[in-house]
Amino acid sequence: MRNNHVMATGLFALSLSLAGCAEVQRAGEDLARQSGNPRLAGAIHGVGNVVGSLFPIGYEEESSIGQAMALQVVARYGGVVDQPELVRYVNLVARAVANTSDRPDIPYRVAILEHDSINAFAAPAGYIFVTRGLLRQVRNEAELAAVLGHEIAHVSQKHILDIIQRSKRLAGVTEAGLSYATSNPAAFKNVIDGAVKKLLDEGLDQGKEMEADTIGEVFAARVGYDPGAYVGLLTRLRELKGDDRALFKTHPNFSARIEAVQKTIQGKQLTPTGVILQERFSRMTKRV
Amino acid sequence: MTQLRRNWGPLVLFCVGLAVCGTEAWAETVYVQAKTAQLRSGKTSLDAVVGNVKYGDALEVVARDGSWVEVKTAAGAKGWIFANKTSSARPSGTNDTLARLGHSMRGGDASATTASAGARGLDKASEGYADRAGVSARDREAVDRMTAYQIADQEVEEFLREGGLGEYAK
Repeated sequence: MRNNHVMATGLFALSLSLAGCAEVQRAGEDLARQSGNPRLAGAIHGVGNVVGSLFPIGYEEESSIGQAMALQVVARYGGVVDQPELVRYVNLVARAVANTSDRPDIPYRVAILEHDSINAFAAPAGYIFVTRGLLRQVRNEAELAAVLGHEIAHVSQKHILDIIQRSKRLAGVTEAGLSYATSNPAAFKNVIDGAVKKLLDEGLDQGKEMEADTIGEVFAARVGYDPGAYVGLLTRLRELKGDDRALFKTHPNFSARIEAVQKTIQGKQLTPTGVILQERFSRMTKRV
Repeated sequence: MTQLRRNWGPLVLFCVGLAVCGTEAWAETVYVQAKTAQLRSGKTSLDAVVGNVKYGDALEVVARDGSWVEVKTAAGAKGWIFANKTSSARPSGTNDTLARLGHSMRGGDASATTASAGARGLDKASEGYADRAGVSARDREAVDRMTAYQIADQEVEEFLREGGLGEYAK
């Protein structure tokens, strides 16, 4: 009789956890455990995890994922540049753009990777990286703002988090972030390593790159930077790297990106401002 | 005639209702699309700051003029805001309640950092990851410094002013 009562309570808690009530879920787990029914407690906990995994990842968990990915990016790219004035300047440009982005309410920080390749990355929670090699290709502040706008757009649109959430569901993983890292650090490492591989080796899909170009262009223009600057940078990079398809397995080629950015400028009616701040950029980056 | 009189009743009622609450109900609303923004007494960045608003605040539009919008806050304060710092759509990222609930159901650690508090150094999960992945002390320190890196809003404002950006455009 008592077992039936516990079972009914458990089922009630199960249904409530399906409805999204975390406190009742925990109370149900406790009751089942105290009544000597660990299997039912486990079932309630499991359902809570499954239901919980369907909700968006919050900032706390995003921050753990971003930090762990940042560690791997820094390790793979040979450390970061230690030039406080240069780092501060790049961060100021990023903050100026991020403050009027679609997600200005999280901290954004940029580190310059000690690497000659031409690259930039964004990990969740506002961890942004540009290589020294990329900074050498940039000619003015408006171009830098567009590059950073692109990376900020990856963060604001939660592109990496989408990939992580999708891969977790495919793998049947129901937890992430701090709880996952604590309860199953090996699996957390697998999730992070998979995301880093996507970010650094395979690249995000073409749609996400195009979206980041489009949205990033709007972010930089909102601050007042000349919208034509990004076209200038992409055109120079096309001249440097070409449109070889082998280089663009997952990224759209430069010609497609230039065309998309030009369409954005027209479609969103981004007016030329002539603000490129070449002099300030040259002064602040002379030691790149 | 009787038919006509019968039809007048609802029409008069509608007109009275419109006169009473029409202006309130149809007022245009914009939302602050920037981390923070200032309300000024006039339509230039040289005009005095009369108030501060923050991301997501709803503002009633009083007038528009070029790159500036005159607005009224919920508390009744009036001022001009740079138009690029506003959006007609409510800003995204308002799913925090759902995210918190999901985190709680997954058994999250309540002591972890929050976006509003600002992160300080590596958290336990990242430390654990660094141990397992064999990340060097030098690289840990780099990410630790990066996480704690902060720039005051006032510095960003000064940077914009120096560059003639945003509301400081010449």
